[in-house]
Amino acid sequence: MSSSLAWSLPGWPALSMTETETRSLAQLNDSALVAECLAGTPGAFDLIVERYRRPIYQVCYRFVGNHEDASDLSQDVFLRAYRGLKNFRGQAALSTWLYRIGVNVCLNRVSTKKPLDSTTNEPIETQNLIDATNDSPAERLMREEQSARVRAAIARLPDKQRATLILRTYHELSHQEIADILGSSVGAVKANFFHALANLKKILDASHA
Amino acid sequence: MHLTPEDLIDIAEGERTEASAPHLASCAECRRQLVDLRAVMSTAADVEVPEPSPLSWDHLSARVNDAIAEEPAPAGWNWWLRAALPFALATAAAVVIALVATTRLIAPHVEPPPTDAFVAVPPPSARDTLAPDVADPSLAFVAELTQDLGWEETREAGLAPRGSAEHAVTHLSEDELRQLRDLLKEAMAKSSD
Repeated sequence: MSSSLAWSLPGWPALSMTETETRSLAQLNDSALVAECLAGTPGAFDLIVERYRRPIYQVCYRFVGNHEDASDLSQDVFLRAYRGLKNFRGQAALSTWLYRIGVNVCLNRVSTKKPLDSTTNEPIETQNLIDATNDSPAERLMREEQSARVRAAIARLPDKQRATLILRTYHELSHQEIADILGSSVGAVKANFFHALANLKKILDASHA
Repeated sequence: MHLTPEDLIDIAEGERTEASAPHLASCAECRRQLVDLRAVMSTAADVEVPEPSPLSWDHLSARVNDAIAEEPAPAGWNWWLRAALPFALATAAAVVIALVATTRLIAPHVEPPPTDAFVAVPPPSARDTLAPDVADPSLAFVAELTQDLGWEETREAGLAPRGSAEHAVTHLSEDELRQLRDLLKEAMAKSSD
């Protein structure tokens, strides 16, 4: 895929990428790709977006529960990453850094909106779902309704518990990585995770009652 | 003493075995908490994010591109260096000129042999007459950097046509070359800060 992003500074010609150059960039690890971004190599940031758009979108979706808001937040995450790239020192992994931006963007957004409940999830029929299972429509509907209940319950957790549960359960980040993202300790992350799960159980039990 | 939340999480996630916590065998409350933890972890894990259509990913990338297109390019040190390079060369050239002018005040003047073409770098014939130190990497670096300068950049960098004092740099003595090398290194170091 050739890049559509062509940067130009005053006095410098606009540059574009050949297929070969794109393939070479794609083989770089994250640190090298960041260096290429800072050097102004066209397409380098495109590749960062391509590499991380799915996990960032999924984190955002976990927080807001609908495609439109998740897309908006994802765009915001990458824009902030682009602006802050010059301050990225490589002390943490690029993925950790992007997750940190993502969690902060999501927590800022959810703090300004009312808590999600099962009635504000986007209707199943409006979701662009790709069903890879062999479930019957009824089974699929039940599964989606259960998922909506769990998502709504997660949305009611306190911020750090919610973020910890999302990052640990759905992105399989280590406790240390989560601690780096949230700015806390491994012990605090485990405690948050424990309380998140305990509270989630209480909320789900109450909704079933 | 009951197991701590961290202990229970470690055991529930399989980071520790139940056998490593003998308290479990004798505490129904801790066993219940462990069972509950595992159950809700499984329930939560079953919740998937609906996968958007493949077009959504390209759409997201396009939206990011559009947003970034309105931003200034990230200013890493490489961008600064590339933007400042002509000025760095101008500084280095000014230093060279100052050195030549200074040494001519105290050393016998050396008339440069006439050449037929203006060069922003020492011509091959002139290089051959120079001391072996002209192969010094610092001078070769300057020559390499300036060889692609167009006429306008050359003029802006303060380099002038033949017959001028600047042209004399191509015929410096060994001592002068050493001093030039040191000054160039200093100028380049300052430019890259």
